[in-house]
Amino acid sequence: MIDLLTLALTHGLMVLAALVLLGRADLDDEEAGERPAARWQRPAARDAGPETDRD
Amino acid sequence: MLAPRRIGTKPVLDLALLAFIAAMLVMGLKRPFLWVLTYIYIDIVMPQKIGWGIITSPSLKLSLVAFVAAFAGWLLLDSKRGSRFTARQGMIVLLLGWCLMTTLGAQYQEEAWQKWDWVWKALVFAAFLPLTLRTKLRIEAAALFIVLAVGTIAINGGLKTVGGGGGYGTLRLLVNDNAGIYEGSIISTAAIAIIPLALWLARHGTIFKPDWKVWTFTAGLIFACLLIPVGTSARTGLVCAAVLGVIMMRSVKYRFVYAGLASLALAAAIPFLPASFTERMGTITQHEGDQSASTRVAVWKWTIEFAREHPLGGGFDAYRSNSFTYQTREVVGEGGSQRVEYQTVTESGRAYHSSYFELLGEQGYVGLALWLVLQVLGLWHMERLRWRYGERSGRDGRKSWQWGLATALQQAHVVYLVGAVFVGIAYQPFLFMLIGLQCALWSYVKRTEAPERKPWAQRPDSQGPVPQPAE
Repeated sequence: MIDLLTLALTHGLMVLAALVLLGRADLDDEEAGERPAARWQRPAARDAGPETDRD
Repeated sequence: MLAPRRIGTKPVLDLALLAFIAAMLVMGLKRPFLWVLTYIYIDIVMPQKIGWGIITSPSLKLSLVAFVAAFAGWLLLDSKRGSRFTARQGMIVLLLGWCLMTTLGAQYQEEAWQKWDWVWKALVFAAFLPLTLRTKLRIEAAALFIVLAVGTIAINGGLKTVGGGGGYGTLRLLVNDNAGIYEGSIISTAAIAIIPLALWLARHGTIFKPDWKVWTFTAGLIFACLLIPVGTSARTGLVCAAVLGVIMMRSVKYRFVYAGLASLALAAAIPFLPASFTERMGTITQHEGDQSASTRVAVWKWTIEFAREHPLGGGFDAYRSNSFTYQTREVVGEGGSQRVEYQTVTESGRAYHSSYFELLGEQGYVGLALWLVLQVLGLWHMERLRWRYGERSGRDGRKSWQWGLATALQQAHVVYLVGAVFVGIAYQPFLFMLIGLQCALWSYVKRTEAPERKPWAQRPDSQGPVPQPAE
């Protein structure tokens, strides 16, 4: 039982990590993370905050 | 008659492990780098040994499938932008060539080729791994899979130790095999070595971002890792834990608080340690009374003599030709009736019980020198990175992920090299994965940081680019 619990925990975390990696553009190209996202991927205007607050 | 093996949860275990590997391989179709992570997992955890049915079949060759997928994925599908071949990777290839040469002339051909079968994979993968770790996220992912893979064994052992299942040579860690990374001293060394990496991931991770859940898991994992030397009663593990405790003093912010808390935790833990563990740890300084320790000393002496006769090495498993006689000395009885008993022990074909002597006996002076330079250069490179980022205190250099990872990899490496004094783990894939991560970090920093500014051109108050590390 302990074996199954351990394997479920760590292997579950590895699958979760792999799923996160699938969705991360900077896995293959670090500059991709810095490039502006496509319009449909950007957060809604009300979430982005005032323009002047940005870096 | 053989009893049926598949009962209860065993088929489920096989299916679950196969499903996990299949899922990783399928996801790798979108991101081939995931095949590299799959190989890291298979090489450390060895699911072929955990399962009971089809997964254990030699014809399945899980390790080879992942190895080929990782290579082919990189070669055919992955971008090579940022991939660099460092001097240390060249040294790994040299060591591989040297091992092949000594294997061709090995005294015990059959056994030597059996060992070569897994050593070449560990070395080739170590030389290959840094080529794939081109981005920070990939370095982090590789570190995460190494930690989770070793953690799989450590958490299992930790839980069983808490449940009272420990003891020297009796703690069952997922498999019934007491070999490779599942051997008590080896898993103790590896488990202690991943602690700094686990802490780095908890602080700087972006796959699992630092929050209370990550810190809770990390705390549990570290506790499990510390329990492994207790559960296996491996003296090597206790030495490794003590060394890690000392070298972490270099990197913690509040040294006195750390030292005080560590002492307090140790004092609180001692009463809860099993008697078998404290008795065995008590023999650390009394090698004359302990057969296991006396064997080590005798084998080491034999190896030095062997290397004089075979300076170019005897090939893998050359220890099989050893035979020696030594005396153990033990004080027996109590109070006034104590007496010293001497016992003459003759042994043959005893393993090296030390990576340094393993190298000396198998690869001779040349192989040992190559291996040592590879290790020392790794420690030196990580120290250079620590200096480089540590100097940036004005800009929180010590808080940077690079400083943290260099520190963690150096600490893990030191722990492993200390454990290697007592166990033959010179070619373990885990060690070469650490080296691969070091090469990748070194190469990444060289590539991404600004070029070196000459010392005479740098103002004393400047916080500009810190000197570029040189090969």
